[in-house]
Amino acid sequence: MNSLPIRRSSIVGIVRVVLAVAAVACVVFFVAAQGRGAQVTYGSGAAPEESPSAPPEQPTVDLPSAPEMAAMLDEEPVVRLPGAVAAWDEERVRQAIGDRDVRIIAAPPGLTKEQRSAFAEVDFEVRRDLEDDADLTVLTISGTRVSGGIYEVAPSTLDEWRAQFGRNDVTAPMIALINQLIGSGDEPVEGPADERREPTPDELEVVAEQLRESGRFTAPGASLTDVPADASAEAFGGVPAMYAAFPVQPAGERVPDYGPALARLFPETAIVVLYGSWIEYHGPHAADFAEVAAAGYYAQYGSVLARGPYPQDDVLRVYLRQVASVRYAGLFDRPLPYTPFDPLSVTLPALPWIFAGCAALLLALSARPLLRRTAARPLGTAGRLGELSALAVEVSGLTEKAQDPAFARAIVHLRAARDAIAGGLPDRHVHRLLDHAAEELDRVGRAVPVDGYRPADNLRRQRA
Amino acid sequence: MSWLIWAVAGGAILVAGFGVAAVPKLRARATDREVAWSTARTAIESATVSRDACAHRSEAAEAALARAGAIVAGGGGARAARSATKHARRADRLWRAAAGE
Repeated sequence: MNSLPIRRSSIVGIVRVVLAVAAVACVVFFVAAQGRGAQVTYGSGAAPEESPSAPPEQPTVDLPSAPEMAAMLDEEPVVRLPGAVAAWDEERVRQAIGDRDVRIIAAPPGLTKEQRSAFAEVDFEVRRDLEDDADLTVLTISGTRVSGGIYEVAPSTLDEWRAQFGRNDVTAPMIALINQLIGSGDEPVEGPADERREPTPDELEVVAEQLRESGRFTAPGASLTDVPADASAEAFGGVPAMYAAFPVQPAGERVPDYGPALARLFPETAIVVLYGSWIEYHGPHAADFAEVAAAGYYAQYGSVLARGPYPQDDVLRVYLRQVASVRYAGLFDRPLPYTPFDPLSVTLPALPWIFAGCAALLLALSARPLLRRTAARPLGTAGRLGELSALAVEVSGLTEKAQDPAFARAIVHLRAARDAIAGGLPDRHVHRLLDHAAEELDRVGRAVPVDGYRPADNLRRQRA
Repeated sequence: MSWLIWAVAGGAILVAGFGVAAVPKLRARATDREVAWSTARTAIESATVSRDACAHRSEAAEAALARAGAIVAGGGGARAARSATKHARRADRLWRAAAGE
């Protein structure tokens, strides 16, 4: 019967300790969170951007000297040095040139720094050879990078970049530059022709089989050997990614366009298709970021990529980093897949309320025992008071004058004990007063002529 | 807004802590004083009974009871009440001795 209040009070004590600990934890979390500031909000790419690679130190291709190249241009207006990759629609270029004197020389990609400056001197050498010809215009094409005079041309649309890097087709930049140099002005140049077609089922099956097997397909002539797994994961989050690499496609004929077909074949998969240095993304959220990523990538690295044959591994690695940084930038409405879950940012708004709840409960638990003013009084105290009072009434008829003072003092103490009980004073005090009263009554009981009126006798009589 | 919640809740915790520490102590002190006064009043009444029952006069007892009565009239804390109790008990003893009990 006694264990229940004890268990309850110990439970209340434990709850109070738990609440206090929770409140302290709230404060600690809150204070710790104050120092975090604003830099938690944005994720950032793993590594700083790096350009595909520097020009080669040692010459990998042969280039004639500047005077030799000038002599070649003297003989014929269009010179393709051995290894040159640039292709153009000769008919359209001829139309743009008209009857002007325009010389075109195309060099292979991957020139060293010295070879580049030698190649840039060709213009000057040709002019010195033909000193009277003021209308002479020389276009130099290094890899697929078109320049002439003081100009260098860069594509401005994705179609042009696709033609330049996917097919080595530089028709549009050449015509734009020719128009600029021979004075017909800034009239808009017709973009490159769309030379894509649907792949045949057989062509598609070859690629799809490899992709199902290993997630990667490298066509003969393509240079992709490895896909960096961490860069891939960072760029596309949890979405599985597949990579198909093809060599540069021939210009002037219709070539299969694998991207959309593969995207239909593998839904919910990030599909990256490479044609030479041209990279396309097909798959989930393509409309959200693929064009932005590609435009940023080729605007930034286009002129570097145009000059050299870079392995597709390098090109792809930098592209994946570009995709990751575009997605980290949070330009789009969908959640970033790689922002780590931060429980603190979720709990922070609720933290004051949790703290307030702990405080209120603590206050309630503390106030409850304090508000309960009088502790439960053992009934024995009141019983003893009643017993002694009854004895006093019984013995009052027997007293003589000699016992009056003692009897009166007993009554005084009994009355004081009654007042103490009514006033909620502690039991110990009440018992002390009753002890005094019992002492006086004992004196009276001994003095009266009848036995059995002492408090002890009275008790015995009741028990019997 | 948030800081207001922090401040109010912190104040509540402070109040709870101080309350838990201080209220029982204050209550015990108040009880102690009441007990002491109760004892003092009882002792004085008891002494008054003894005086009325005593046929002889006792100067010392009269003086002691008068001092106890003065202390009660002046009021005060637990120490004053205990002092009054002491004087009243002494007076009670003296009168009982004089009465020959």
